Amino acid sequence: MTLSAAPVRRRFIARYWKSILLFLSVFGPATITAMADNDAGGVATYSIAGAQLGYPILFPLVIITILLGVTQEMGMRLTVITRKGLGDLIREKFGVKAAMFMFGCLLIANLGTLVTELSAVKTTAAMLNIPAIPAVVVIVVVSFFLIVKGNYKATQTFMLFACLFFLAYIFSAIKARPDWGLAVSNLAYPHGVTWDAKYTRDFLVIGMGVLGTTITPWGQFFISSFAFDKKIEKGKVNYSQLEAYWGAFLTDFFSFFMIVATAAALFGSGKPLLDGIQAAKAIEPIAGNLASELFAIGILNAGFMGLVVVSLSTAYAFAEFFGVSGSLNDSFKKSKVFYILFGIQMVAAAAVALFGNISLFRIAVFTQTINAVALPVVFYYLLKLTNDRSLMGEFVNNKFQKYFAVTCSILIVIASIFTVATFFFKV
Amino acid sequence: MAYLSEIIGRPVTDLDGKAVGKLKDVIVRPWAEFPHPLIEGVAIEIKGEMNFLPFSAVAALLSPVIPLKYRSDETPSFDLKDQDVLLSRDVLDKQIIDTDGARVVRVNDVELVRVNGTIYISNVDVSWIGIIRRLGLPGLAHFLAGHLHQKGIAWDDVELMRRDQSMQLRVPAEKLHELHPADLAEIVSDLNKMESGQLLDSLDVKHLADTLEEVEPEFQAELVEHMTDEKVADVLEEMEPDEAADLLGDLPKGRKEDLLALMEKDEADDVRKLLAYPEDSAGGIMTTDYAAIPANLTASEAIKALRGMAEDVETMFYVYVLDEEERLIGAFSLNNLIFAKPGQLVTEFMSSRIITVNLTDDQETVAQTVAKYDLVAVPVVDDQNRLHGIVTADDALDKIIPTAWKKRLPRFYR
Repeated sequence: MTLSAAPVRRRFIARYWKSILLFLSVFGPATITAMADNDAGGVATYSIAGAQLGYPILFPLVIITILLGVTQEMGMRLTVITRKGLGDLIREKFGVKAAMFMFGCLLIANLGTLVTELSAVKTTAAMLNIPAIPAVVVIVVVSFFLIVKGNYKATQTFMLFACLFFLAYIFSAIKARPDWGLAVSNLAYPHGVTWDAKYTRDFLVIGMGVLGTTITPWGQFFISSFAFDKKIEKGKVNYSQLEAYWGAFLTDFFSFFMIVATAAALFGSGKPLLDGIQAAKAIEPIAGNLASELFAIGILNAGFMGLVVVSLSTAYAFAEFFGVSGSLNDSFKKSKVFYILFGIQMVAAAAVALFGNISLFRIAVFTQTINAVALPVVFYYLLKLTNDRSLMGEFVNNKFQKYFAVTCSILIVIASIFTVATFFFKV
Repeated sequence: MAYLSEIIGRPVTDLDGKAVGKLKDVIVRPWAEFPHPLIEGVAIEIKGEMNFLPFSAVAALLSPVIPLKYRSDETPSFDLKDQDVLLSRDVLDKQIIDTDGARVVRVNDVELVRVNGTIYISNVDVSWIGIIRRLGLPGLAHFLAGHLHQKGIAWDDVELMRRDQSMQLRVPAEKLHELHPADLAEIVSDLNKMESGQLLDSLDVKHLADTLEEVEPEFQAELVEHMTDEKVADVLEEMEPDEAADLLGDLPKGRKEDLLALMEKDEADDVRKLLAYPEDSAGGIMTTDYAAIPANLTASEAIKALRGMAEDVETMFYVYVLDEEERLIGAFSLNNLIFAKPGQLVTEFMSSRIITVNLTDDQETVAQTVAKYDLVAVPVVDDQNRLHGIVTADDALDKIIPTAWKKRLPRFYR
């Protein structure tokens, strides 16, 4: 009997194709959540990291990607299997007080984050010669209508499209003419600098800061709520798990270029950076106008994505904790509280960003502090829930996942506490 | 009136006044004849272990310290039955269906009422005041309750969702049956899979079919995943053929064939016909539920013929007239028929200039045709002008109204 290769190949492609379609059908929540982790605050942190530490700070990125992937996967699996959001489950298993505490932390920290996003939009707009106040107002109004008028599908499409703007960082990085060999080899082990006491200390502090901006309480809630709203079928859980890791990879793929751009252009120049906009301005003499402007557009886009995702995470959490309807597929009338809460946060944050007289640094410290308080609690619940066999069935954390997740969680918690400590004690 | 949240956790003492443990839960047994169940038992934690006691062992449940009528070593035990509801475990903080408001809500508290020494469950509290009370501010909650007159949901209007048993807790989910299928569909989509499965299980075949038709197709396939083939086949027979075909199209191939084999031959053939066409063509969205009569009938014969079809054809928008070769030669509305003289031939009052679409036309064309000519339904014909089905306006317009896109996209892309 002879075997013809053609039908075998065709069958292989057919099966392959089906898997791709299945993957695409669950695609969205994890990618959007992860990309939103590179919000305006994230861009600022990466820029500072690259400018101050050079390529070696790329090394922790690999670890951060793994940590982000593991935590996102837990949230995703929990929701797809139980068909409930993290907020729903916390309320049902741990009661009203736990729900209220979590919601309080989330609301306050998210407001702080929103102020950061809109402030970044304001200053970046000014740099690009767009009037600042109209820019902030437009971005808030557009976000509001996108969410209220659009359904889940429209929102997801819009946000995935927004992710494309992160390509700007690749371009900026290329324009900065980096030493690619040194950049890539630093992913494997940090080298190429003198490790004196000051550098080592900065490396630790900023490295922890990078971890802290990437893994956040709102990120944990959002991935769960968004996956819930997407109504992913249980049978596709392995595709969703894959997406969780893919999202983590993609996010840090772009972070890599942010760091490379600022490291190539600014490391060793002795110019200290405070935020992303300064980075955008500072790379201009080295990488040129276009690179600088693209970097700025990237920040605007990051601010927009952060704005939508962070406000949504509060609104979703509220709906889950307190049992009101909250779905992007619902009309404004049915999910009124959900939509109003979404809008009000943005308006409040816009007011503070535009007219408030508070130092952004203080807001950042405050936000980071609340996040550091909330994060251990979130992970405690998340682990407790994913370890609960009666809830998860065969998808309960296995031994490896259990210990690995606990280790990751402890690392993240230490990082966020460490970051807060450095603010207060000026290590 | 007292609240469950207030008494849970209170210390329990025995006959001698010695502390024995803490109140953990209150057990009620649903009772079909009376809308508000009585408390049957309590769960008390004694040295880290759950003990179930009959309510008769409790001297006073609503007091700050709950005294028992027995010494701690001689308390009678309570036989927990499957249908028993543990209020804290099964109701508090859980989602329930409010059958009065047709929505899914979260329970913040449960109200207990004492009438003549017996304690009943009166309402479940889903209001903000319940949350305030639970946060440890009963004074403020009481104050607000006095001023805002928030009413709880009567226990009678509550449908519980429990992981370990079906929904028929009291009267067999009677209240749910009174809801409109569209409301039920919305509730189903708010629930998680196990719960929605339970809800659907409690419906009869007709109601289940109507509800499934209202649910988004992506979701239909998942809902019937765990139903028996026999039940799904019955449901498919009840559904409109086009809806049934949509649902079958989303199922794995093997199951689809099994189900078609189980269905009545007529219905299965209708659905098979529809399945043969691409999902986005006129053939894919049409239904075979239409009324057609031969050309040689008079008006009164036509009325008789149509009465005979009442079983199979749910809604008649137009009646189609066919020649001997099943070719479409005309159509008339029921108005035309009623106004015609009994002896008049249908060919005399039918309209012979009819707008049709071809089996292979895409859904966009169908929708535009329906919109342009303002039709309630458009007939679908093949190249020989033989009638195969009709596309109703709502099915056709679903395709071009943006909000409805989502509903019809093949589930892969959602």
